[in-house]
Amino acid sequence: MGTAPEIANQRIVEALVSKLRRRQVVGSRQTAIETVLVLRQVISKARFSNIEHLIQIIKAVGRRLVQAQPKEHTVGNTVRKVLHHVREEYHAVSRAGPSSAQPPKSSFSISKFVSQGQPRKQNLTLPKSEARSTSLRENDPDDPDSFAKGLKPVLMEAIQDVLDELETVYDNVSKSARDHIHSDEIVLTIGHSKTVESFLKSASHYRNYTVIVAESAPSFGGHKMARSLSTAGISTFLVPDSSIYALMSRVNKCILGAHAILANGGMFAVTGSLLAVSAAQAHSTPVVVCAGQFKLTPLWNLYHEYGALDFADPSSVLGFEEGSLVDKVDVVNPYFDYVGPELINVYITNDGDHPPSSVYRLIKESYDDEDHEL
Amino acid sequence: MPPKSFNVGKERLIDDEEEPLQAVILADSFNKRFKPLTTSKPRCLLPICNAPLLDWTFESLSLAGVQEIFVICRSHADLVRAAIRESKWSKPSSGLKIVPILTAKETFSPGDAMRDIYTRGLITTDFILVNGDLVSNVRIDEVVKVHRERRKTNKDAIMTMVVKESGAKHRTRSRGDSAVFVLDAESSECLHYEPVTGYPPKTQVGIPREILAEHPEVEIRNDLMDCSIDVCSVEVPSLFQDNFDWLDLRRDFVHGVLTSDLLMNTIHCYVVKEGYAARVKDTKSYDSISKDILARWTFPLVPDDNHPGGHAYEHLRGNRYIAKDNTVVLSRTCKIGNNTLIGSSTHVFDNAQVISSVLGQKCKIGVNTVIRNSYIFDGTTIGANCVVENSIIGAKVHIKDKSRIERGCLVADGVVVGPEAKLRPFERVSKRRDTEVGDDDEDEESEEEEETEGDDQEEDDEDDEDESEDEDDEDSDSELEEAEANQAAIGATLGEDTNAIAWPLKSTEGEDSDADEMETFDNQRLMRMGDSASDLELTDPGSITSSEVDSDSDEEDGFMVSRTRRASASATSLPLTTPSTELLVPPLASAMEKEFQSEVSQSLERAFAEGHSVDNAAVELKTLRMSTNVPLRRVREAVIAAIVEQIPIVEGNMAQQRKEIANVVDRWGELIDRIGGVDAVETVSILQTHCASSQRLPLFGQVLAALYQNDLVEEDDIREWHRQPASRGEGMKPGTFSENMEKCWAVGTRMIQQFDEQEESEESGEESEEGED
Repeated sequence: MGTAPEIANQRIVEALVSKLRRRQVVGSRQTAIETVLVLRQVISKARFSNIEHLIQIIKAVGRRLVQAQPKEHTVGNTVRKVLHHVREEYHAVSRAGPSSAQPPKSSFSISKFVSQGQPRKQNLTLPKSEARSTSLRENDPDDPDSFAKGLKPVLMEAIQDVLDELETVYDNVSKSARDHIHSDEIVLTIGHSKTVESFLKSASHYRNYTVIVAESAPSFGGHKMARSLSTAGISTFLVPDSSIYALMSRVNKCILGAHAILANGGMFAVTGSLLAVSAAQAHSTPVVVCAGQFKLTPLWNLYHEYGALDFADPSSVLGFEEGSLVDKVDVVNPYFDYVGPELINVYITNDGDHPPSSVYRLIKESYDDEDHEL
Repeated sequence: MPPKSFNVGKERLIDDEEEPLQAVILADSFNKRFKPLTTSKPRCLLPICNAPLLDWTFESLSLAGVQEIFVICRSHADLVRAAIRESKWSKPSSGLKIVPILTAKETFSPGDAMRDIYTRGLITTDFILVNGDLVSNVRIDEVVKVHRERRKTNKDAIMTMVVKESGAKHRTRSRGDSAVFVLDAESSECLHYEPVTGYPPKTQVGIPREILAEHPEVEIRNDLMDCSIDVCSVEVPSLFQDNFDWLDLRRDFVHGVLTSDLLMNTIHCYVVKEGYAARVKDTKSYDSISKDILARWTFPLVPDDNHPGGHAYEHLRGNRYIAKDNTVVLSRTCKIGNNTLIGSSTHVFDNAQVISSVLGQKCKIGVNTVIRNSYIFDGTTIGANCVVENSIIGAKVHIKDKSRIERGCLVADGVVVGPEAKLRPFERVSKRRDTEVGDDDEDEESEEEEETEGDDQEEDDEDDEDESEDEDDEDSDSELEEAEANQAAIGATLGEDTNAIAWPLKSTEGEDSDADEMETFDNQRLMRMGDSASDLELTDPGSITSSEVDSDSDEEDGFMVSRTRRASASATSLPLTTPSTELLVPPLASAMEKEFQSEVSQSLERAFAEGHSVDNAAVELKTLRMSTNVPLRRVREAVIAAIVEQIPIVEGNMAQQRKEIANVVDRWGELIDRIGGVDAVETVSILQTHCASSQRLPLFGQVLAALYQNDLVEEDDIREWHRQPASRGEGMKPGTFSENMEKCWAVGTRMIQQFDEQEESEESGEESEEGED
């Protein structure tokens, strides 16, 4: 029984696994959404008679996905988040069942944060709690499926919440853009982060300011970013990475994106971020990082102190056609920079602003401790 | 659930839109460059970076969205089939349908395999043709899309070859087996393909003049690496069926299609900008592709990311990859250099050094041992104080203490050498067979014991040992026997406890098969790992044509392609068959021309004897000319010579003789103008030259007259020829030849006199035969 549901869903899991391995799904938000979709399918098809079993199934799928692409931390984060929600709903149901009391007002509940952002959802939760009045019995020998049948609609709601959060993450991060960017400021950014892009665009509705985009070689995401911003009517400069330091004295603020935010408050971000942040440090320019909460990762910098999480192929640095050189030169093309917590001033998430020092608390609220190791 | 139905709908949509993409893997190398490593398993199952080559190939194909794969296996087919059955690719979740196909033992070349594919009728649509030793992350589906798009407008575009810009000296580009591509700059149609061997170095490439005439912009490229990924149309296997002598995909098929006058098919190239693709053709490319993988050129197909074997590796700084499952034991004092991969459960003991190497699983590297630029397969043990450099060591090998393995050695599976063995550079070592050679039955049995997996095949072989054994086994047997017989002569130091024999350093097979220039020993050396081949003369020997080329170079600047062989080599130029170089016959080509001439005379004889139509004969000549690539003048010479020789000599009877000449020229004279281009003046001078050196000298006048009668030669042409100083035999050495030339010229003079007389008075001339009308 234990593996049966897994087999049933193997195909869809394997499809995502191979996509992750082949890097056909890239970008932390895209990966997170794909993961949620797979988990929803897995849960909807899963047969389980008690909560432990369900959690085992989800963990097994999660483990498989994380192993497929350990460098894409959002996969693990999403699995943890779903587990957290599953437990929460389960506790709510099992407590609410007999007493039919309102769910306890846990002050740090993540669902509260989510619902704050989305008033629409709050309306939905009310009829839901009424429907729960029938109690759920685990391991019912007469009808082993009754537990699953009773819990599944609630779980689907919870997963839908996670999905909604992911889908609205840019809007929610951008809500406070007006408070961070002031008129006639010069803002420096690097690479092409969708979060930063929407953040800057949303600020441009209220303020008139200038953006300097570093092109972030060799991926040159900055080119795309600059084009997008200037079409939105923001005055934009595209500069090579080498001039970041020279320009820093005129910059009022650095706004960066993140790939993953680590438990110590550091982060992995696109190559060149460390360069920009160090320059900012030298000029005491504030560094602001925009990221959705799904990037919070309960891990430390596992790899190298001055490391890049991932190394791409060298062809964008040294062309393959440079035949005679290839043999003599080892080319390293790091994908990300590790930026330590001491270099960052504030994280702007879809759940308000936080200093790096309180990231650990956010992580504790978002995920259950027992899920840190999947 | 809404998302589910959405997904299902999407899948169905895709199914409706596209027919399933098929691929064919040729899982046999059809050569023996990896001997003796390939004695017990086929090349496609050799591991590269600890995953079998076949898995890399499957990964490349499934990346392209291929749904159905046919694996054509020949040698060790059972091993291949078992490997496929056990791999993750045959699970339903992989979304691949893999069909292993066992082809006949008589399949000796890719061409035979293609004919087999045709007879089995496997292919129903455009398909991808690759070899079982491909490592690629190229988006082949995009190539397929381009190919299909092209096919919609142009049904003759039968194939798209994937090539990659690499520069002439890239480590992954084979020096021994490369090619010059002539492409149309706009459509990237491949106009001409010229295979290039490394040794003897190819210095000239002939490009048919028509190409330059028909295409305004042409790219001649020697910097392309052939990825051996072909997107083929359904017609391709049937073309192989029609042309039963085509063996190689490139040298025969591509060359044949491009030079054929009859097939109107075209072949295109797709120059990939992004991605990596290369074939493990030989040990040298094995080395360089391993290095490319470790240096992450194949990203995301790298050991720590998407390892086809499913192993998990951790990527450390300096491109070191260590298996992730915490089973690797590295001594505190050992040294692991850059670009190194270490498989799980491997132990590296104190003070050992592993530099730029790949270690398989469950290997043991002894104290103070140095491993450099080497590839060591699973389960191998290397003792203390050994040195292994630039070599490939098979699986379950035991190299005992204080052994030395120099560059370029290949050590086959299961060998034990040492202690204190000293393998010389490029030594090839395999396990000795247990029984005496000569007794075939025992022999088979002993092999069976060794090869537990290959049982079925061996049993099959026992029925008719000598014939049905595939080439590999057969050759290895004969070679093995030879090697065993000559152990004393070979004189390798393999140590006391060895169970191995050394193979002859210089294999004889290269000399045997002189038909295949790719397989000569010297050329093979360029494909050997660790062989710098610095003693081979790779520069243009003496630059045969350089002086002549210099004089022509002014006009030719636009057509020069300089190719540098090595850093020190001088630039070599390739004169093209433009008019100015047409008269220039490089000594290299003279043999070819001689062959061509005999071919032409044979084919014309056949035409004369069997009474072909002039059209057919002309087509045949054209094809011949294309295939040997000789200038037009040579064809004309050959045709005229053949026609003149065709005329029977009738002694004493002028009228009869004239009739014979008229017969032949009436029937065949037209051919002279049908071989391409009309140049009557040249015709006359060739006729003169031929007659001057032939016993049909007296017929010159009559033949010329007959040509005149048939409007093949006009009066003006004769006058023009007559005016040329060369026609009078000027500038020639005095002798019978020049005398004869003069005689001919005198005949011409008489003829011209007659023309003049004719103009003056309409009376006909009396005494000369040719002026009758």
